[in-house]
Amino acid sequence: MSDNILKFSMNRCLSVERLDEDTLRSVCRLRDTFTSASVEILAGLPDLEIIGASGEFHHEWQKVPELDDILRKLPGVRIGAGMLKIIKGLVGEEDHLRQLTYMVEECCQGVILSLTKDILVQAPVSEEGKLEFFSKMVRDSIRLYNRCAAFAPGSRLVEGIDPNQ
Amino acid sequence: MLKFARNKVVSAARKDRDTLSIHGILDDDIYGLEVDLCVGIKDLQILSIAGKWNRHTTPECPSAIPYLQEVRGFHIDEEIGSKLNKIVGRKGCRHFANILNECCYAAAEAAKVVRWEDAKAARPDLSFEGFLKEEAAGGAQVGDSWPPSDQAGNAMPSPPPPHVAVPRDERHGSNPFPARPEPSSNGFVIDLHVHTFPASPCSSASADSLIEEARRIGLNGICLTDHNHVWTPEKVEELRQRHGFPIFRGNEITTDQGDMLVFGLERDVRGIIKLQDLRREVLAAGGFLIVAHPFRGFLTFSGEQLGLTPEKAARRPLFQFVDAVEVLNGKVTAKENGFASSVAASLGLPATGGSDAHEVSEVGTYATRFFGEIRTEAELMRALKSKEYVPVAFRRETGVPARENRPAEVQAS
Repeated sequence: MSDNILKFSMNRCLSVERLDEDTLRSVCRLRDTFTSASVEILAGLPDLEIIGASGEFHHEWQKVPELDDILRKLPGVRIGAGMLKIIKGLVGEEDHLRQLTYMVEECCQGVILSLTKDILVQAPVSEEGKLEFFSKMVRDSIRLYNRCAAFAPGSRLVEGIDPNQ
Repeated sequence: MLKFARNKVVSAARKDRDTLSIHGILDDDIYGLEVDLCVGIKDLQILSIAGKWNRHTTPECPSAIPYLQEVRGFHIDEEIGSKLNKIVGRKGCRHFANILNECCYAAAEAAKVVRWEDAKAARPDLSFEGFLKEEAAGGAQVGDSWPPSDQAGNAMPSPPPPHVAVPRDERHGSNPFPARPEPSSNGFVIDLHVHTFPASPCSSASADSLIEEARRIGLNGICLTDHNHVWTPEKVEELRQRHGFPIFRGNEITTDQGDMLVFGLERDVRGIIKLQDLRREVLAAGGFLIVAHPFRGFLTFSGEQLGLTPEKAARRPLFQFVDAVEVLNGKVTAKENGFASSVAASLGLPATGGSDAHEVSEVGTYATRFFGEIRTEAELMRALKSKEYVPVAFRRETGVPARENRPAEVQAS
């Protein structure tokens, strides 16, 4: 038997678009060896609150018969700090729901990343300019401090920053 | 037009008899990165890992790469997601943690296929579904569950009828404080929001150490508000007696609309409850409900970037269901506290303060000043409903050194 043939393959695609002045649509699509699924979240602006959710889920041996009921629980949840705990609690973490929960989280992360991109496009090209830009970003949003290797103590980006101030 | 796109591709092949080879690519508008893993088929152990950036944002992002090596030896099981987030995500980069999560999913699924193929060698007519049923009947296999969970127990029990909380002091008519701290001329100051270990696993402070620190810095009382945890009256009474210090009971309950500080509700709420349902229960119990840190993380994007004003924010439905707003919270930025204060003022809702302490040095950072002495839970409830109190920056006001710890994580992940 050939050892070059894949045993499993997966594509996950996340896309975010602005529907109108007040709404973002985030869609996560999954196609892998066993699963074909998609989840769509509508996020209201400027609150970043989920105002709609829909989806479909097909899997070789797992069913999610309560899909629509689960997604109906999501409107009202705010996309931002603390959302993962709320999403896990509302959608559920039983085996057959984990993929669905993950896809909802991905949609929400997509909304955050799309807004992050709006800020990052303003970053200068030069090394010096970047250091200054990202250092200011940490100062303006101190929660970024020590959030990752780039913003950890010892990094040039957090030199002189005291998170307690 | 697309505002943002992220594509992830993961493939799993059998490298040799015992090993899977996993390749993962993450490519989006901001980041581009790749990882390669070798995973043992039998025990789903990560044997080796390599990763590289194709595109990144800051000049310091490359320093995340060495942290990938810390996942060598990990087993792909239900805990792998939280381990990856803590080790790779927090110390290195959360986008590497993200693609590694996908690779672990792929490894677990590929291992099923490989085990089926091996079983088919002896039984050519064995279907994949039949094989899975046999495996399930034989007990759960390593790596059968994905995406991994970092929280145990998610069943949400149906709520029993609300229980009306009768404060212990009213039932027994006793004075709970052998040694009474006197209210100062500056009122009676209570930290209404503290977390203790082990009731709140995210806290590093025992109730005893928090109480001792609260007394040391001159607070008049503290309220234990552990996450979805109900302190028994007996246990709190024991703490009161032992320390001779006013200690009150509350509960920080996570709802679909965020965290709420609840007073006077005895029910142990598990899982995520709808705010409207919680409100009904609190009203039935004669309790009090404060929205905790209502704009935590809001201003990262919603403020200047998206134009959220206090006037717009005040229209958020959740404010219809709360009795007061926590406008001084020790875990959010001054800007977010200021925003909450503006919203509370525009709605005419009372404002409270609490440290949200998870470490001893944080207790009393913020607190609530009442204008009369409060000795019992019944008195606290009456005081909260009287609306006669103000939030205070207690440590700063009294000159007690500010907390030494950095702000705790309050990001989405």
